[in-house]
Amino acid sequence: MKVRYSYLKQQFEHADDLWQELREFVETGDFTLGKPLTKFEESFAELMDSKYAVGVNSGTDAIKLALKVQGIGPGDEVITAANTFVATVGAICELGAVPVFVDCDDTFCMNADLVEVAMTKKTKAIVPVHFTGYMTDMRKIIKIAEKHDLVVVEDACQSILGAIDGKKAGTWASTGAFSLHPLKNLNVWSDGGVIVTSDEGLAEKLRLQRNHGLVDRDTVGVMGCNSRLDTFQAVVGNWLIPEAKNISDRRIANAAYFDQHLGALDPITIPPRPDDYRIVFHLYIIFAEDRDGLLQYCLDQGIEAKVHYPVPIYRQPGLAHLGHKKGDFPVSDEHTKKIITFPCDQHLSREEMDYVIKTVKDYYEQAS
Amino acid sequence: MTNISYVDLSNHWKHEKQELLEIIDEVMSNGIFVGGAIIEEFEKKVVDYLGVKHCVALNSGTDALVCAMIGFNIGPGDEVITPPNSFIASTAAIAHIRAIPVFADVLPDQTIDPEKIRMAITDKTKAIMPVHLTGRMCRMDEINAIAKEYGLVVIEDAAQSIGSRFNGVMSGAASDIGCFSTHPLKNLNACGDGGFAVTNDDAVAAKIKSMRNHGLVDRNTVEEFGYVSRMDTIQAAILNYRIDHLDDVIAKRRSNAMLYREVLDASHLYIPDESEEYFNTFHTFVIQVDRRDELAAYLANHGIQTAIHYPVPIHLQPAAKNLGYGLGDFEATETQSKRILTLPINQFITEEQVRFIADMVNSFFEDSGDE
Repeated sequence: MKVRYSYLKQQFEHADDLWQELREFVETGDFTLGKPLTKFEESFAELMDSKYAVGVNSGTDAIKLALKVQGIGPGDEVITAANTFVATVGAICELGAVPVFVDCDDTFCMNADLVEVAMTKKTKAIVPVHFTGYMTDMRKIIKIAEKHDLVVVEDACQSILGAIDGKKAGTWASTGAFSLHPLKNLNVWSDGGVIVTSDEGLAEKLRLQRNHGLVDRDTVGVMGCNSRLDTFQAVVGNWLIPEAKNISDRRIANAAYFDQHLGALDPITIPPRPDDYRIVFHLYIIFAEDRDGLLQYCLDQGIEAKVHYPVPIYRQPGLAHLGHKKGDFPVSDEHTKKIITFPCDQHLSREEMDYVIKTVKDYYEQAS
Repeated sequence: MTNISYVDLSNHWKHEKQELLEIIDEVMSNGIFVGGAIIEEFEKKVVDYLGVKHCVALNSGTDALVCAMIGFNIGPGDEVITPPNSFIASTAAIAHIRAIPVFADVLPDQTIDPEKIRMAITDKTKAIMPVHLTGRMCRMDEINAIAKEYGLVVIEDAAQSIGSRFNGVMSGAASDIGCFSTHPLKNLNACGDGGFAVTNDDAVAAKIKSMRNHGLVDRNTVEEFGYVSRMDTIQAAILNYRIDHLDDVIAKRRSNAMLYREVLDASHLYIPDESEEYFNTFHTFVIQVDRRDELAAYLANHGIQTAIHYPVPIHLQPAAKNLGYGLGDFEATETQSKRILTLPINQFITEEQVRFIADMVNSFFEDSGDE
């Protein structure tokens, strides 16, 4: 049996109605900041319990533009997680700002208790990363930000519809950044991103930034860039958005099933699942003894297991100038040896999950 | 009354509906939406079309300019010389990487004036960014000579000039690197944003390829932080179809332009001449006239939609305030901004429509001449 990681083929197998909508859309020629985009932005804001949503070209751009419109620029220090995907740090660096890392805990998110330790006089912002579909403890982050007057941009790229105490990821801070990349829980057919905010002034600034700073066709209010969410992709987004809640529910159910059966195995440790968190499992990651052996065995048995990520961002060659060394963020380092990611998506069948569970079990039985 | 719109993308679609729907269907059923063979196919087609070594497909023409500059290590504090009569993207791309845009005024044909470039050079100058506005190339022989003399990089903004030539050399292939847009309004257009950069420099091409994808060298290694600027696979599929028909689009636009030249009464207006050196592709067809606003209103009253590219020069935009320029700094650009008018020229306009538009322009000046 094969258990694939990407489910995009299945996702669009029964999409005749989407196909029809696209046919109708392409005939309008309304390709740049067109009507379906406005509709998508309204639906997304509503889905998130936020006032405004601004579609941009990628999750990376969402983080970058959210920081930029709140005044973050060259030399400013931005605190973020030591184990995130490269995009968070890329966005900070593109602005000429300096990433300052904080170690994570077993939720794979920044340990909020370590944030104040990392602060200096130059600290201007915090970018908590709601990694894998977990959430950073925003109750603590918001308190710290208020106390020190810091900008907060939530990197919610992996946590659409995640929540703490029922309050959704991306809506705790002034701005929340989301990705619509094909592998995300709510996706389009290409790169794409969205920023949510309830601040009208910020929403307006973001709309300017993504479209060359154009106030109208002939007036450039600020120097901006081109980071529009394609209207074509917004049609895809509009088609999928009614499913967003079901998608995360399904992933949560799959994760619970895995937790129950894989958690029963001694060499496997399930990360904490706090009751007040809604974890949406963009990635289903658990801790495994003899991880490399297990990973290879799973791959040999046709299961596309992965590691997110084998080298933490803070130790990448691109950040060599910051002078970090192995051991600076011990929890992130420790995780790289133990973490393994299994498919957990909404298209995964019970048979496929049972096969994953059996394979993991077989591996450890055979090893002992 | 006939209504002639300046641009009509839905009309464009109607002509290619059958083929494009099949293409989109195929991409959709493949489930490959980022990267993949379709992107590589597009890059190969561009390489063949322009006769260059490398093409890197990106998310927009603006991003192509940004990536090109970073590819050549241009950064904060460096000066880049560019014309002030362009679309904002060229200047904004320079500002985006925190380099300093330095303007040089233009020639009567709206392309950057090589002599003015020379005068703008300082010891901080790192690059020249000529803009092939309207699909007419800048005087690349002179620009390249200046660049060589001062050791500068030349980055062509070829967003409006795919297929254009100057002395037989293709736009984008006439310097260190060429930057193109495939925005829906361009001659080679997708159904959303898109762009690409072309160069013969192996190292620069490799750097941009990594930069468009987060700076990832492989799935787990970041050598240098980059961006997300990938061309959508679906847009690349559309472009793969359209690039095969690009020469027809260009031929039709050129024949429309020739017809305009034939019918328009040259005594009332200025159109850049079309000497042997130039092969223009007419992304836009721009005339320069007195009483431009009156003419535009007159044409609108007769159902003819026109446009102005661009009514407010970049150095006079609110966003450029901190660059320290003011009214009077670029006389040619400022004068032209009051005289330029863009007439419809797209490939779907009929000969009859071109004649009608040209006749209406003539009659505006003739009628008012009688007053």
